Amino acid sequence: MLSRAASSLFWMARYLERAESQARQLDVSLNMALIDVPEDRTEQLSVPLLVSGTYDEFFEHHEEITPRNLIDFLLLDDQHPASVFNYIRNARDNALHVRGNLSADVWETINRAWLDLKVLQQEGVTESNASSVFDWIRERSHMFRGAAYGTLLRNDAFHFLRLGTIIERADTTARVLDIRHVMATRAMEEQATQSFFEWTALLNSLAAFEAYQNTYGHSLDPTSVAELLILSHELPRSLHSCLEEIAGLLDRVESGSAQRARRMASSLYANIRFGDTDYIEERGLHDYLVDFLARIQRIAGQIQKDYMGWHQ
Amino acid sequence: MLIETPDAGLFDELFDENNRVRPHCRMLENWLLESDENLIAEKRREADVLFQRLGITFNVYGEDQGADRLIPFDLIPRIISASDWHKLQAGLRQRVTALNRFLHDIYHSYEIVKAGVISAEQVFANSQYQPGMQNLKLPRNLYSHIAGIDLIRNNDGDFYVLEDNLRCPSGVSYMLENRRMMMRLFPELFAHSPVAPVEHYPNLLGETLRAASLKANPTVVVLTPGRFNSAYFEHAFLARQMGVELVEGADLFVHQNRVYMKTTVGPQQVDVIYRRVDDDFLDPLAGNPSSMLGVPGLYAAYRTGNVVLANAMGTGIADDKSIYPYVPDMIRFYLSEEPILKNVPTWQCRKKKDLQYVLDHLPELVVKEAQGAGGYGMLIGPKASKKELETFRGLLKAHPEDYIAQPTLSLSTCPTFVDEGVAPRHLDLRPFVLSGKKIQMVPGGLTRVALKKGSLVVNSSQGGGTKDTWVLEDDLC
Repeated sequence: MLSRAASSLFWMARYLERAESQARQLDVSLNMALIDVPEDRTEQLSVPLLVSGTYDEFFEHHEEITPRNLIDFLLLDDQHPASVFNYIRNARDNALHVRGNLSADVWETINRAWLDLKVLQQEGVTESNASSVFDWIRERSHMFRGAAYGTLLRNDAFHFLRLGTIIERADTTARVLDIRHVMATRAMEEQATQSFFEWTALLNSLAAFEAYQNTYGHSLDPTSVAELLILSHELPRSLHSCLEEIAGLLDRVESGSAQRARRMASSLYANIRFGDTDYIEERGLHDYLVDFLARIQRIAGQIQKDYMGWHQ
Repeated sequence: MLIETPDAGLFDELFDENNRVRPHCRMLENWLLESDENLIAEKRREADVLFQRLGITFNVYGEDQGADRLIPFDLIPRIISASDWHKLQAGLRQRVTALNRFLHDIYHSYEIVKAGVISAEQVFANSQYQPGMQNLKLPRNLYSHIAGIDLIRNNDGDFYVLEDNLRCPSGVSYMLENRRMMMRLFPELFAHSPVAPVEHYPNLLGETLRAASLKANPTVVVLTPGRFNSAYFEHAFLARQMGVELVEGADLFVHQNRVYMKTTVGPQQVDVIYRRVDDDFLDPLAGNPSSMLGVPGLYAAYRTGNVVLANAMGTGIADDKSIYPYVPDMIRFYLSEEPILKNVPTWQCRKKKDLQYVLDHLPELVVKEAQGAGGYGMLIGPKASKKELETFRGLLKAHPEDYIAQPTLSLSTCPTFVDEGVAPRHLDLRPFVLSGKKIQMVPGGLTRVALKKGSLVVNSSQGGGTKDTWVLEDDLC
């Protein structure tokens, strides 16, 4: 397939996954801010900014982190790239660019999301209806995935689209785990009740709370949480699941002579597949995740060089 | 629901001169009479939402990029009887055959010029004539693989060709989407009428494009100027329907006179390019040097015969308004047949006698730029103000060769949903003619309708709308 089309599919899916993830982060953080004691609220609310890497930029637009400002900035602001509004706009723009490779169903879910979002932006989002907007974003993302699974040929167009989704997802899981694990561990040392909410927030923002209960069925503990989110081969957002899929997709993509991204992904997958919690603890969770993030970014870069290099 | 009857002296597609419904349209009349206004209004809104959702929109130049506009879609179909279509089809086939013969001739042996049918000046001094196409051998001698012929029906009831479009005629996606929309909104209408299908057009187009190459299994692509082009939706739609790649200039490159597309596994050779980019922008080395839409070296590859362009380079000469008056003569000259479809009488202002006539009768005539398109830069005499008439008088005297003039024909009307209810509005028709191993077309075309009362301008860029076009498989319904 065309290199440009592969690139557009890849980025289209990345932006949509990012929009879904941002909606989850915001939802959880705004909820936690209601529970938290006032002095911890700012820290809670800063998580979505840290995950999206826009903490400094936020203060160029707003003086303090309040739920209102956060909603304005990360949801509907069209003046900076990291808002859900711009993620969906970019996704739709990429979809338009690659429309010849999309099924009508996939195109329509994206186009409709964009049309509805423009209306939402006009009407504005308040603190009280924000949750229903987050639900709506998640539903759009599910619908996009459903349309893609249900209507696309399993050819390279599909493979590159999935690669975009999964690479973005692996990146998000690692970032959220890194930030929230520290917060929850610290809360545990300070206050037991609070720590329950912190662990719940971590799991919820990665759609993993029920999965945790199901798998461990006991009270929340830091090692089990890290184990689930990194090493579980059953949880769809775990690093293990993501890498398994990335390596598998790169095996299936028509590759010609390009093999580097494929080798890098298989190697990282093997590390995780045969890794254990002892190793992670020995290494330190934070260092482990920083290393992981660097490697996943190198893989994403290499995919672009190997298959989309024509289009740079 | 009430249907406003047409003005006397106009040809109406639904009512005859005694305001009786034409026999082949009775089913449509019944439907309109039975339909409830609220239901129709609701269906119209539904259609708008669906078009918006499907992204069947176009950009108007000069407006914000990404400001997607809908072309107004009218729910009342325009019906063409089986017998009318048979005649139209034969006429279109004849006309496109002659035009392709003409193009081959003027780039090879110039028989028509030697015979004195058309002057050498009009052919060779025409800005659309591409000297570089001389003596170039094209597969099957085909130049215009896809032609869109604009027709109107005059008050005498006959179809007249208004314009031949042989470069990158657009609008076929609207023909297909309008049908899809009608079938979705009013399935019951189709259950009771023998409407000929048009849905196989992309199939025929694919066949035509593959037949444009002499290779057994040619790689076909659609070349688009990109997503800000007003017809981008159509380019993507056709590529997807045919299952071929939709490429932009930057996706292609030329190496040793062969064209390749940049794919995830490396270069892949391209054999046929259905290009929706104008001649001048196709190759910055040969045409407009600042064009970012084209492919450097494409022209050389084309001349070497390593890639086929559909339509060919240099077809613009045959759809030029100053060549148009000669098409009936071309048909006689190349095919020894009498033209089946009429031309609109045309005065060529380049000719002294014609110019004088035009200047004397300006308030009765329509004056068009020979190179114009999209309904811009034209004068509609009967509707023009004194000032406009004077302006054009000046233009005509200064550059007579740039203009042609035609009598104001009364385009036929068809009942249309407008704010006032159901009222007659003027329309035209653009059928699409495909030339490959044989000439093929689907029964129908794009019907454009002027939504303003009395307006004769149907272009979408000027606020015109579209309708579904029904060709009946037999007239007994």
